[in-house]
Amino acid sequence: MTATSSAPLVEASGLSRSYRMGASVVPAVRGISLAIAPGEFVALKGPSGSGKTTLLNLLGLLDRPDEGVVRIEGRDGEALTEDERSDLRRDRFGFVFQTFNLIPVLTAEENVAYPMALAGVETEARRARARELLASVGLAEKCGVRPDLLSGGQRQRVAIARSLANGPSVVFADEPTANLDSHTAEEILDLMREINASRGVAFLFATHDALVVSRARRIVTLHDGAVASDRAA
Amino acid sequence: MSAFALAWRNLVRQKRRSFLMIAVVTFGFAAFALAGGFIAQSFAGLKEGTIRSVGDLQVVDRRAVGKAEEATLEFGLPDAKRARAIAASDPDVADVLPRIDFVGLATTGAKSVPFLGVGVDPRPEASATLAPELIASGKYLSGDGGDGVILGTGLAAALNVKPGDRVTLMATTPDGSLNALDGVVEGLADVRIKELNDRYVAAGIGLVSRLLQSDETVSKLVVFLKPGADEGKVAARIGKALASGGYPVVVRRWRELASFYEQVKLLYIGIFGFVGAVLVVIVILSAAIVMTMAVTERTREIGTLRAIGTRPSGILRMFLAEGVVIALAGCVAGTVLALIIRAVLNASGIMLPPPPGATHGMPINVELYPLAYEAGLAAMLLTMTIASYFPARRASRVPIVDALTHV
Repeated sequence: MTATSSAPLVEASGLSRSYRMGASVVPAVRGISLAIAPGEFVALKGPSGSGKTTLLNLLGLLDRPDEGVVRIEGRDGEALTEDERSDLRRDRFGFVFQTFNLIPVLTAEENVAYPMALAGVETEARRARARELLASVGLAEKCGVRPDLLSGGQRQRVAIARSLANGPSVVFADEPTANLDSHTAEEILDLMREINASRGVAFLFATHDALVVSRARRIVTLHDGAVASDRAA
Repeated sequence: MSAFALAWRNLVRQKRRSFLMIAVVTFGFAAFALAGGFIAQSFAGLKEGTIRSVGDLQVVDRRAVGKAEEATLEFGLPDAKRARAIAASDPDVADVLPRIDFVGLATTGAKSVPFLGVGVDPRPEASATLAPELIASGKYLSGDGGDGVILGTGLAAALNVKPGDRVTLMATTPDGSLNALDGVVEGLADVRIKELNDRYVAAGIGLVSRLLQSDETVSKLVVFLKPGADEGKVAARIGKALASGGYPVVVRRWRELASFYEQVKLLYIGIFGFVGAVLVVIVILSAAIVMTMAVTERTREIGTLRAIGTRPSGILRMFLAEGVVIALAGCVAGTVLALIIRAVLNASGIMLPPPPGATHGMPINVELYPLAYEAGLAAMLLTMTIASYFPARRASRVPIVDALTHV
């Protein structure tokens, strides 16, 4: 584990998670301990089936471990109710997915505004912030456009803007460049680095893309559900 | 964005499925509204027919309630003119009809048949009741009735008489002696209850009084009220006025006299209730299938919404809102459809068979019955909420990770 000067934002201790496949039980994550500090830019790399996405889901409170604990700014994530975990994801986390996962019936602006609506932000305030966030990812002109009329890169930019809606401490990104061409992928990574630098938002990527890994400041390598290495880039 | 606005957009996105579901609700609602209007019409027709037969109120001697007369007019109302005037003086009373119930034997000399007779005052009887409409041949009694008699067609056939023929009526007088009078058959009435049709005799109260030798005594007073009158209050007032006039009477309301009305009403409610329940089950099943399909297709979207912070209750609300929006849209469309079908039916002139206890069919006239529309709206909202709830609950409980990887 890389030492950090700040108290951890997200801290995992002894995480294990298995999945049942037919009659057999397949361990996806085995006893992983890991800490993410504020402002970090971390890549989780490893081959397919190494447990990257499972670990990301556990750290992002999208899933519950069979064993171990995830602490968010010191709070035990496993002790929280579903509603409390939802609120924590809404207020402290951002998520970027490989397939963008925008809500198809909402415009780009409405997609970005949606997490703010969940948090009870007033309509005008959230519209203004959504427009500001879309402008910051270079999509000021696409506010009223629905996802199906946007390119893959544009959709991912909307997803990034959405992930920042409620001012998160950390953004979890699962293979964010996998569906993009190399040029667009590079643009998206530049954007994330810029957000990381300017806003101090930590990023944790699950990826097997060498380009993403090359931009990370810290690289955690997984192998067979365990941490094989954890080093600064 | 509100749950309803999001629901509306999702419904617009899935046009074909939404149209199908809204169509189911539309037809369900229209069926509710039209059936309600039809039931209201049936009840109104049944009520009107009943009241035109037995009156709004009937005044009888207190002793006549629950007891059978051992002699003719044993429990009659004496000095009927005075009693009638007292009852008619109430401002809410439209008409008071005296009636004498009696039994006897009708004969042409060649053949004798027992009858059930009623003595009436023909003029008000003709205007207030359905009696003239029952005449199948000849005419109804006119003036004070004179020597005219009306026979049921079954009785006339048994006696082999027709309008213009003479018939002798024999009956027992209140003092127990036998008396007979000749009458002229004025008309034949088609009383739709066969057993009564074979025994029915009506004659002017003058003729019947002479036959029974019972001057100024009647069996009852049949009271018709003005529109909008409160029958309970009028009954109390008439009872009080007659009591202070020396008549120990009981005033009975039409519902007490026409027990079949409540029975028929219950039967109708049972039939339409069953049909309504089947309708609701069909809508619930259809809606549940469609909502389940919607949840399955949007599982990935549910996962995304949950991941970015939507609580399980928020997902539940979202799908329930879709059910409610479908119900509201279906009810609006259903109202339009019901109004169109109602207009077409009412203009069609289709004749309905007479309801139980009534004598004549009537043209179909589906009433605009607001309560049926309100009940339809409530039923569809409830139905869609129930139908949406279980798929919505399933959606709210699906594990986020499974939802995000759903294909």
